[in-house]
Amino acid sequence: MARVQRQTGRQLDSDHEGFLRHRRFRWLKTALVLCGIAVLAYALTDPQPRPNGGTWLGYTLGTLGAGLIVWLALLGVRKRTMTRGAWSLKAWTSAHVYLGLALIVVVTLHTGFQLGWNVHSLAYVLMLLVIASGIFGIVVYAVLPAALSSNREEMTQPQMLEALRAVDRQLEDAAQPLERRWTEAVLAALAESAAAGGLWQRLASANRDGATRQAIEAFNRAGPDEAADPALIRVEALLQRRAAQLGRMRRHVRLKALLEIWLYVHVPATFALIAALTAHVISVFYYW
Amino acid sequence: MTFRLRTVETTAQGRAIVRDRDFAGSRVTIGRAADNNLHLPDLALDPRHAAISARDDGRIVVEALGSLGFTLDGRQQTHAVIAPQTGGELQFGSYRITVSSEADGAVLLTVGQVAGSEAASDEKAVFALAGRLPGKRLLSWLLGLAVLIAFLAVPVYNNLTRDPAAKQGIKGDAAWSSGPLSLAHHQLEGQCVACHVKPFEPVQDKTCLTCHKDVHDHAAPQRIAGARAPGSAGDQLQWRIAHSFGKPGPGACSDCHTEHEGAGRMPPPAQAFCADCHGSLKDRLPDTTLGNASDFGNAHPQFRPALPLAMGSEKLTRVSLGERPREASGLKFPHDLHLDPRSGVSRMAQRLGQGSSLDCKSCHRPTADGVRFLPIDMERDCESCHSLAYDKVGGTFRKLRHGDVDQMIADLAVAPRTPSPIAVPILSGRRRPGEYSSSGPYFARFAPPAGGIGSAQQALSRGGICGECHTPSAVGGRFAVVPVTQVSRYMNHGWFTHAAHKEEKCSSCHAAKTSASSADLLLPDLRSCRTCHLGENAPRGKISSGCAMCHDYHITASAPRGLTPRRKE
Repeated sequence: MARVQRQTGRQLDSDHEGFLRHRRFRWLKTALVLCGIAVLAYALTDPQPRPNGGTWLGYTLGTLGAGLIVWLALLGVRKRTMTRGAWSLKAWTSAHVYLGLALIVVVTLHTGFQLGWNVHSLAYVLMLLVIASGIFGIVVYAVLPAALSSNREEMTQPQMLEALRAVDRQLEDAAQPLERRWTEAVLAALAESAAAGGLWQRLASANRDGATRQAIEAFNRAGPDEAADPALIRVEALLQRRAAQLGRMRRHVRLKALLEIWLYVHVPATFALIAALTAHVISVFYYW
Repeated sequence: MTFRLRTVETTAQGRAIVRDRDFAGSRVTIGRAADNNLHLPDLALDPRHAAISARDDGRIVVEALGSLGFTLDGRQQTHAVIAPQTGGELQFGSYRITVSSEADGAVLLTVGQVAGSEAASDEKAVFALAGRLPGKRLLSWLLGLAVLIAFLAVPVYNNLTRDPAAKQGIKGDAAWSSGPLSLAHHQLEGQCVACHVKPFEPVQDKTCLTCHKDVHDHAAPQRIAGARAPGSAGDQLQWRIAHSFGKPGPGACSDCHTEHEGAGRMPPPAQAFCADCHGSLKDRLPDTTLGNASDFGNAHPQFRPALPLAMGSEKLTRVSLGERPREASGLKFPHDLHLDPRSGVSRMAQRLGQGSSLDCKSCHRPTADGVRFLPIDMERDCESCHSLAYDKVGGTFRKLRHGDVDQMIADLAVAPRTPSPIAVPILSGRRRPGEYSSSGPYFARFAPPAGGIGSAQQALSRGGICGECHTPSAVGGRFAVVPVTQVSRYMNHGWFTHAAHKEEKCSSCHAAKTSASSADLLLPDLRSCRTCHLGENAPRGKISSGCAMCHDYHITASAPRGLTPRRKE
């Protein structure tokens, strides 16, 4: 029996278990217990004149929340060293996610539902922003890799780039016999890059109209005798391939941007939060 | 089908040498070995790497012969079909073969070598967000520092460098306020240092007292210190921690009066603050006369109004209503007789145009603020029926002087021996018609003032005109009546306002209709109040009544602050 168990254990170890379901949701359960205790304490105590951050429960929840925030932020330091076991990076990440979510309950109860236009609520809102961006990150990490993979069709990023270059080289070569009005369209198409644009264009739809599409349309409008020209047919086919490759790359860029963008909110907002938290704690006692 | 192999080599001078070699056959082999049709000397290739063969439909098939593949248009493959008209680009190691078709139908394979690695250098620029956005690290530092400067450094600097004499707000500390101040402190909004005098020091009582100069203590400080319940172990731990951080209290102003809880009136302190001491006060202050009280609904002693207990004494004594005290006001006044709609009093009221009968407000008039009632005034409230007229000279009535016994005796001593016509009906027993008749406005019923000193004696006797309402007595052998004590406020330690209860009938609380004696104390007891009022946590339908509704911590003669906002609302 013991042997079977050991075998089972070994099998579990070898199976991939993501950070979300690490150790059968150990940290989810921990976070739920923490929230339960906080809610229960809030419901059972009757602070006078009203619940807020200045009661004993308020100070306790506030200290807990501040400690959690600092510890959660330390994931940025911790993730740079990978270890195994109970304190593995995976365990740490799992705790980061679930304890981070528990902060919503702990810190909301710390506020006693008193919010205003002040540094205290700023810290609260920044914390919610960090948590919301973290939730977004988890969702895109869960959903997007499959889409990324199916879009990639087993091509690596350098291969995608190389593929575009290969098409471009052939286009350049194939367009040599064409007249000027055709070569201009081809040149414009060649100038269109996969990564054109900043953040918003990256996040926008991948199926946008570009010089390559316009060139294809121009070739489609060619007269009947021109349309029979094998050079023209070849260039148009190459342009089609270019457009398809561009579309794939842009989808890839968009999915990658979605996978990365949340960290551009999560990390800076965390630092703003730590700063606001510092100001919150100091100001509360400065004007005690 | 013809394969035309075109090799392009570049000379040291940069000149391209193009060589075409037609290969008539349906299969071209490619590899590192020299016997291949296309010999590509690259160590990354198999000796027999791949073969290109023509298909019947004009397309060509590229097949890897070993385990290593090739790329077609950048994609790794081991098998590919290419239409030469459309073309494609194959790559074998560092060699690139471009497939196209020639005008004569030959398949052109242009072979060239890739010059160095141009790949992957711009991978990050194309696919990663880095560079498209300001770096995370930079953003983090900027945001963090901006918050720290705006919300910490600026207010702290301005606070530390302020001119203590100048009464102006400190720039930047508005964001520190956890909420608006109450109405009473509204003018201090933005002047944080008015209360938060020293950094890291809780608001001190002495700071409150700089403005609230007239606020007096609830009791002597030693009494208060002795009265406070020590609290649970948790409370004691809390206070130990609070004191270690320099927090004043318990009993500091800020313990009960918390600020920054929102605009509007500061809510009255909760009953728990009172119950800390009064809930079990007797245990710690055995000499107190106060009963334990922690909740009006279920832990409050019976009311103890202050009332005169001895005839003629002005001393008011506090007695619990539970002991059913009798009030010695010195007056005789049966409420039931006066309020009975079928009594002679009501008939008289009808005749005098006072309505169908007397009611409470016929005699009891509220004070201007509506809180209490004015004392009963004989001339205003009684005399329209209980006339003191005893003579008529021309159109003027002579009346006995109310409130001055000596004057009354002197007046009666010189009164005419012959009774005045207005006194005739009483003296002779005969009835007169007209306006002097018993139903006329000038009819007055009073005991027979026969005149002379004997009449005064008569008037002051138990059955005499004075004795109708007063208790006759003798002071030093002289005729007198017992002085009347009217209590205008029975509850001096609690607040009650009639104005707030004007929706109620008088009889809901005062059993005047069944009271046959003025000694009956017609005050409602605790139970009566509890029909509507329960403690702070009163259930729905009852009035939530904390201590501050009736009591003040800083006792004043006016309404407790707990009541003031309610009245305004």
